[in-house]
Amino acid sequence: MNAPPAAPLSARHWFGKVSAAVVLGYTFSIGLSGLFAWHGPGGIDAGSGKVQFNMWMLAPLWVAVLSVCFLFRSGLRAWLWLTAANVLVFGLLLGTRALDG
Amino acid sequence: MKIRADVLRTYTDVHTWVGIVGGLALFVAFYAGAITMFEEPLRRWASPPVALPAAVALERAPELIDAVLERHPEAARAYAVHYRIDPDTPARVSWEDEADVRYGAAFDAHGQLVTARTDEAPVAQLIDVLHQQVGLPFEHEISMPIMGVIALLYGVALVSGVIVLLPTLVQDLFAWRLGRNLKRLWLDVHNALGVFSLPFHVVMALTAVVFAFHDGFYATQNALIYEHRLDSMWGREPSQAAPDAELLTPQQLAARMAQQAPGFTPVAVEFRQNPAGVTTARVIGYDAREMMRAPTYGLASLDPYTGRFTDTAYLPGHQPGWEKLVTSFFTLHFGSFGGAPVRWGYFLLGLAGAFLFYSGNLIWVEARRRRQRRQDGGVLPPQKRSSRVMAALTVGVCLGCVSGISVTIAAAKWLPGRVQDLEAAHTYIYYAVFLACTGWALLRGAARAAFELLMLSAGATLLIPATSLAAALFAAAPGWNWPGTARLVDVVAFAGALLFVALAVRTRRRTLHGDADSVWSLSRPDPSSAPAGARAPHASV
Repeated sequence: MNAPPAAPLSARHWFGKVSAAVVLGYTFSIGLSGLFAWHGPGGIDAGSGKVQFNMWMLAPLWVAVLSVCFLFRSGLRAWLWLTAANVLVFGLLLGTRALDG
Repeated sequence: MKIRADVLRTYTDVHTWVGIVGGLALFVAFYAGAITMFEEPLRRWASPPVALPAAVALERAPELIDAVLERHPEAARAYAVHYRIDPDTPARVSWEDEADVRYGAAFDAHGQLVTARTDEAPVAQLIDVLHQQVGLPFEHEISMPIMGVIALLYGVALVSGVIVLLPTLVQDLFAWRLGRNLKRLWLDVHNALGVFSLPFHVVMALTAVVFAFHDGFYATQNALIYEHRLDSMWGREPSQAAPDAELLTPQQLAARMAQQAPGFTPVAVEFRQNPAGVTTARVIGYDAREMMRAPTYGLASLDPYTGRFTDTAYLPGHQPGWEKLVTSFFTLHFGSFGGAPVRWGYFLLGLAGAFLFYSGNLIWVEARRRRQRRQDGGVLPPQKRSSRVMAALTVGVCLGCVSGISVTIAAAKWLPGRVQDLEAAHTYIYYAVFLACTGWALLRGAARAAFELLMLSAGATLLIPATSLAAALFAAAPGWNWPGTARLVDVVAFAGALLFVALAVRTRRRTLHGDADSVWSLSRPDPSSAPAGARAPHASV
């Protein structure tokens, strides 16, 4: 997002960006919480307290994506970038799970 | 800090629109939420006297339990022994029947069992529900997702508000430009309030998102990351010895509690019997030095045969690490740490939050103001329809919420004995007042309604101490009075009523003597100056 002669950013095309953040921002947050749940401190068997914490993580992550989504230059770019982010995070999750056996 | 101009403009627009969509609902959430800080005093204030003899001494609780279980065997499933006797928990032993009706028990002068209904006064709970559902009157399942969306908007509003403010943060923060430019003044106040209470607001926004969506969050995580194993990850029910021993008495349990958790003040102990006939116990209480998971209490599960803890996941000061971390999120929302000073702080922060949203709406209206210009010959232009409607809605919704809450609280001392379903009556009263105020403001316009509804808010809030005073002075008046913290309700309401009168007087001054080119002025715009294509101004504005 640093091609110099870009049109100035505006809030006008918000729907594409916000819908991407609502859907893909949510799944992205879920994926990150999954990495934390499996590979964060205590691992997956750290008990019910950590299960609750993993759920709580979603609120700041989702709100963060919803807040920065307006920086995408278009709705399409938002959907593409967030798809890539989801592929990355779920790829890591599935990959590491497969390695763990 | 330097931020690109187009980014700033984008986030200014985002902040404006999420604010205007969520602001009114958030006002209700914050005003009602501030009042829930006094949930316990309010419940006590609203509790009618119960037709029961004086509470049985704690030492005689086992006798009383035996007498209750003999007459009402169904109580064995679940009953409570109250360490703290109060107007809202007047009996030493209480239980709920299948229909969730609560009964309390005592002995009369001849040692005979006496029971009576001791239901909780519902008004404190109603205000809590208003708070949780941002004032929406729908079923919980419908209101909560809407609240969640509002909470997400609120989160975005916080981030965008900070981004917009960052470049001028240092210049603007301590500058309150009390000049002729009202928009500037409101903006300065709004910014200062927002920045200084930002941590509080971040906590509220994020916790509210979780409170709205936790079921969905867990379900998605169960499917996508836990491989459908979530049910097995909650941990097992704590095991407990078979009941071959006698149950400890409530007094002995309190002593065991005091040994294992000094500093924890037990309020009640709940006994439950599972189908296998094993009794489990939970001691509910508080510890002002620690964080508490619930708005007003923490609890310990213990083995009622030995007094040993079986689960301390919710016991203040004895929680395992992750539980303690999660409890910190709850307690930061509830203000349930640090005792009374924190509650007062949260009360003020909550009111300041309500004012933050109110001032946000005022800035929106002010930014769309059509000014009187000398070059136009000084004619008074009509204000935009959107400004007039938003100003009227802001006044009507906010003051309707204030008045509705005050009237329904005051009604708590009038309704018992006169209506069957107290909860429904309180709900109808609130929404009737709220809707009437909102309608009134739309009908009369913001300029007139602001003064009238502020006076109404003052009067409605004055009803609270007036009802208590009447009950103290006249035997024939409805109501009652309790000593202790319940008096706080009357004192705070009286102070609130004075504040509303002061605001009403100032508002009146502005509508009469302030700038004429504003939705807040009673001056009539010159009809000939209406721009082409604009609607004719409403006669009353």
